[in-house]
Amino acid sequence: MPAKLDFDALVACYYRPLYQFAYSLTRTESDACDLTQQTFYIWATKGHQLRDESKVKTWLFTTLHRQFLETRRRYNRFPHQELSEVEAELPTVSPQTFGQLDSAQVMRALSKVDEVYQAPVSLFYLEDYAYKEIAEILEVPLGTVKSRLARGIAQLQKILADDLSAENKANM
Amino acid sequence: MNAEEAKKILLLYRPGTSDADEPEFAEALRFARQDEDLRQWLAGQSTVREVIRVRFKQIPIPEGLKEQIISERPWKTLVVSRQEIFALVAFVGVALLLGFVLLWSRPHPAENRLLSFENRMVRAALRNPDYGMNLVTNDLNRIRAYLAEHHAEADYTLPTGLSKATPIGCVIVSWEGHTVSMICFKTDRPKAANENSDLWLFVMNQTALSNLPGRNPEIASINRSTAATWTQDGKVYLLAVDGNEEDLRNYF
Repeated sequence: MPAKLDFDALVACYYRPLYQFAYSLTRTESDACDLTQQTFYIWATKGHQLRDESKVKTWLFTTLHRQFLETRRRYNRFPHQELSEVEAELPTVSPQTFGQLDSAQVMRALSKVDEVYQAPVSLFYLEDYAYKEIAEILEVPLGTVKSRLARGIAQLQKILADDLSAENKANM
Repeated sequence: MNAEEAKKILLLYRPGTSDADEPEFAEALRFARQDEDLRQWLAGQSTVREVIRVRFKQIPIPEGLKEQIISERPWKTLVVSRQEIFALVAFVGVALLLGFVLLWSRPHPAENRLLSFENRMVRAALRNPDYGMNLVTNDLNRIRAYLAEHHAEADYTLPTGLSKATPIGCVIVSWEGHTVSMICFKTDRPKAANENSDLWLFVMNQTALSNLPGRNPEIASINRSTAATWTQDGKVYLLAVDGNEEDLRNYF
């Protein structure tokens, strides 16, 4: 963590993972840039209220996620409820096949995953946060994070597997 | 524990992290060591996870983003630890005496906020001219109705010259928590295939800014565009064109 929470050093340290998290949520460069900029703006004006400096990264991710939800609620009346308890099945595709994927395909697939699972899934892949920290960032209980992750990961893998299968068939 | 239960747990397992220390992962891992099928499944899942993880990490970062964030830093960024507060208070007393002239010569924080608003809006528009519009239409009345319905600024006054441009839609954006109406137009200059909009009007309630531009448009260059800001009837206006000052003046 940057010494004394120097603003420039903090930006240099965290703007990349924050932008990538924002992009995985919005899939739009301009929206992701705005979310990232907004997050650092809030840090600059309110960050001094944070007592535990070791929590800066979590604070930044939490703030970004809150801003994202606020924007979504304003535009879409984003339904923030648990989905059905149906367990998604994992696809039966050879792991090596997944190597054909590129970043854009993964983002497209993520956009098809149920919205409530997208943020935990992004954090799961982007950052090696402990599940407790993911729960803190998303402000939901630990058990909810784990169940959302299990379903979200299964959905993402299934969508990717279907996309790969369709792509391979088209190329035959 | 059976194999299915172990799979459900291990789906969330990330090798090389603190996950292995958690009792439920540790137990599932012990179970997997004794089950060949489960061990193979876990190896496959680790490969898949790693591929997807790498693809997430490959999301490209826009050039200049870091510099943009730093340039828009508000003045309140001065963050000090508790231990430094006493020293700071003493220092401020001296600094006030010695630095009075310097303080006057520095840009006012509020100026930075107006600049920040202009920069953020215009650069975002230039990066993505269509901005993922909420409503695509050539009908200004529909645009106004849409903005009103979504509680964004809709009671705006368009500059007379803007009627020469064709509206193509609108989007509601946010700046520092304030709602901004963005109305997208196109000029009659030739455009690239993927470019529809090159003229944008942003309208925001004036309470979002502590210092305001004047009643007459104040023109500035931002990147390759030219923008004008003014205040009218409780609203701050920002009109930007992907062009020079002469292009912009056509729309007043």
